[in-house]
Amino acid sequence: MPSYPFIRLSDTPAGSSVRIRHVHSRPEISTRLREMGFYEDVIVRCITRTHGNLICEILNTRIGIDGDLANGIIVSPAEQ
Amino acid sequence: MRDPSAPQVRPRLIALTGNPNSGKSTVFNALTGLRQRVSNYPGVTVERREGRLKYDDGSFATVVDLPGTYSLSPTSIDERIAVDAMLGRGSFSARPDIIVCVVDANSLERNLFLVSQIIDREIPLVVALNMVDVARRRGTTVNPGSLERELGVPVVPLVASKGEGISKLKQILASPVPKRGNARQWMMPAPLARECGELSAILQEKRQLDEAEAFHEALELLTSSDSLLEGADRHDPELLARIRASHRKLEFLDMDRQSAVVSARYRWVQQLSLRATERVPHPGMTKSDRLDWILTHRFWGVVIFLGIMAIMFQSIFSWATVPMEYITAGFDWLGHQAVVALPPGDLRDLLVNGALAGVAAIVAFLPQIMLLFLFLGILEDSGYMARAAYVMDRLMGRVGLHGKSFIPLLSSFACAIPGIMAARTIDSEKDRLVTILVAPLLSCSARLPVYTLLIGAFIPATTLFGLVSLQALTLLGLYALGLVMALGAAWVFKKTLLKSARPELLIELPPYRIPSLRHIVIQMWERAVLFLRNAGTIILGASIILWFLASYPRLENATPSERLQHSFAGKAGHLVEPLIKPLGFNWKIGIGLIGSLLQREVFVSTMGTIYNIQDSNQQEGTLSLRQHMKHDRDPTSGLQTFTTLTAICLMIYYVLAMQCLSTVAVMRRPSGGEGKHGLAAAGIPLHRGNRSPPVRAGLGPPQAGLPGGMQQLLLPHIGGRALGEAASAAA
Repeated sequence: MPSYPFIRLSDTPAGSSVRIRHVHSRPEISTRLREMGFYEDVIVRCITRTHGNLICEILNTRIGIDGDLANGIIVSPAEQ
Repeated sequence: MRDPSAPQVRPRLIALTGNPNSGKSTVFNALTGLRQRVSNYPGVTVERREGRLKYDDGSFATVVDLPGTYSLSPTSIDERIAVDAMLGRGSFSARPDIIVCVVDANSLERNLFLVSQIIDREIPLVVALNMVDVARRRGTTVNPGSLERELGVPVVPLVASKGEGISKLKQILASPVPKRGNARQWMMPAPLARECGELSAILQEKRQLDEAEAFHEALELLTSSDSLLEGADRHDPELLARIRASHRKLEFLDMDRQSAVVSARYRWVQQLSLRATERVPHPGMTKSDRLDWILTHRFWGVVIFLGIMAIMFQSIFSWATVPMEYITAGFDWLGHQAVVALPPGDLRDLLVNGALAGVAAIVAFLPQIMLLFLFLGILEDSGYMARAAYVMDRLMGRVGLHGKSFIPLLSSFACAIPGIMAARTIDSEKDRLVTILVAPLLSCSARLPVYTLLIGAFIPATTLFGLVSLQALTLLGLYALGLVMALGAAWVFKKTLLKSARPELLIELPPYRIPSLRHIVIQMWERAVLFLRNAGTIILGASIILWFLASYPRLENATPSERLQHSFAGKAGHLVEPLIKPLGFNWKIGIGLIGSLLQREVFVSTMGTIYNIQDSNQQEGTLSLRQHMKHDRDPTSGLQTFTTLTAICLMIYYVLAMQCLSTVAVMRRPSGGEGKHGLAAAGIPLHRGNRSPPVRAGLGPPQAGLPGGMQQLLLPHIGGRALGEAASAAA
């Protein structure tokens, strides 16, 4: 994991766990992301990525997320 | 238990809700068995599944399987329908008597978010805690008693795919259900709570709402974006100003209004889940991780997907052949019995060549339909379908579609009918409609006899560079043309009439599991009945009409070709000849085109009749037909009727022309029955992410609709007008 504290979810290496710090997107999209579990302080485990899209595990659910959406989610290492 | 002496006004209405992939349909099938029917909600392409739950005392309750939703803030038409149905608003006149919220025990927190919202609305609720067996295998044990105490509503653990827990759920659904659970256990930030309380008091006074309704409306208004408030027409300016002032106050405190509510609710849900579950952590990569890595790999994922599709596609072609032959033979036998039993005449002719021939044409598709839904059921139930959508999203995204559109389109190479029916898996209304509209452009198996006849007769049997047969290349070119046109048309639709930005991918990938055979078989049965009922009624009528047109007026002592020319159909062929002459077609081809409205391959048998071939399906008959077509000349000009160019034009016509009536009939249902309303629903503006703006109580849905001219333009293509009478979709 990079040493700086905050990165985008889209840059998170596969296999690592991170903590969401901020969700930034259009209001209806960020609301939907939060309702699906992408809210502040929750732990996300990144599983794999394909063509910029990402599969991650959040609240024991696996979700495929667009690279553009993942770009707007700011995270830090899970232990922080 | 139900009191038999209690007066029964109407059957109890039970609504099944829950997150997508929570197993709602499995629970629905377990509760209702085969006592169910499928239709569409009026004006939209969203399916309505309704069934009857039979109690021990013989009485019934009505169970409705609502579309899946993650929350009571809808972001798509499907979710809006689910929310409106639960809250008894919009086109739904009353709330259900009980809501059963199906919760996936594997993702308790996310599922309990919706549960907590429903409890806050004080609607009678039962929580069906599903897939507890899968959760246990993954190291998660949920204590239903603890959940029940925390939530204040009955919690029933289930393994719906095996029927476990269903009898207890039925018992609870037969008993009186407590009116409310433990509402509003979660704590929102103090400033928001204060504003909400004040606004709620104003709404109670101004709009005579009760305390709970006013609270929820106030909360929705406070968490709405300013752009939504701009469109509100139900509030007075004073109230609007008050709401905006609250927004500014909260923003001054640096509060993200939407985020604050969602986060607060989730924090409570997480605490509740921690108290009610025991988890054994799994360090390192799990089996699911490994499977996901392979199945969604940028290269191997695509290879595996195409391999699975090739197997599915080939199986539908080859496995369906034998049952289709049996069905055809069965109808041939019936026809023979009718010929033996009935005296020669119009009645026998109508029955054998009109009704039976028409019904046989439809029923012959049934094995393909059922096989397709068998495969789709296996792929969906196992959890692979979502991975396939994830893998194909990039390709589909290039034409503005979601990854889920790929499978219906691929299925259409076998037959557009099951492909169109498979489009129900697409969440987005517009993407679903675009997929339905372009699916018939892919060359189906019914066009293959036409291609084979014309290519065999008019394309030289040579090879290019000694490697590739020109005839095979022509056939490949026709299929490629259909695919290119379908993708191109989809791109145009998504940029114009059914405009919406490329949907952003946000898809839940359900856990891998062994498919439930019972669930799949019920689904196959349901689709078979629906298909036969919808397409068969229309096609039976059309077959009788076509028979009449090709048989009357009668001409005695004439060859089949002369009778055909003298008939209404023959006259119609002559009538359309000027229209099709620029394409190089004549009246004979005109009759063939009219006949092939029923089924594409009817063109071959029509040509055979015209050229006096007894049975154009026999090999020597087909060869003779080719020779006849090659040597046929116009009696006036002496020119060849069919040239290579004519044949190519005809084949391109079949690639691009309006689909057969069977397809039109089936398109009519998933597109909303009444084409105008379906298009109006599709015209509801969608923001990027293919989501409709949140529909908030008190603000009303955004006003939308296509211009009337555009509706008229598209109606023939989805069969609304072609079938003469648009009716609302009904079972």
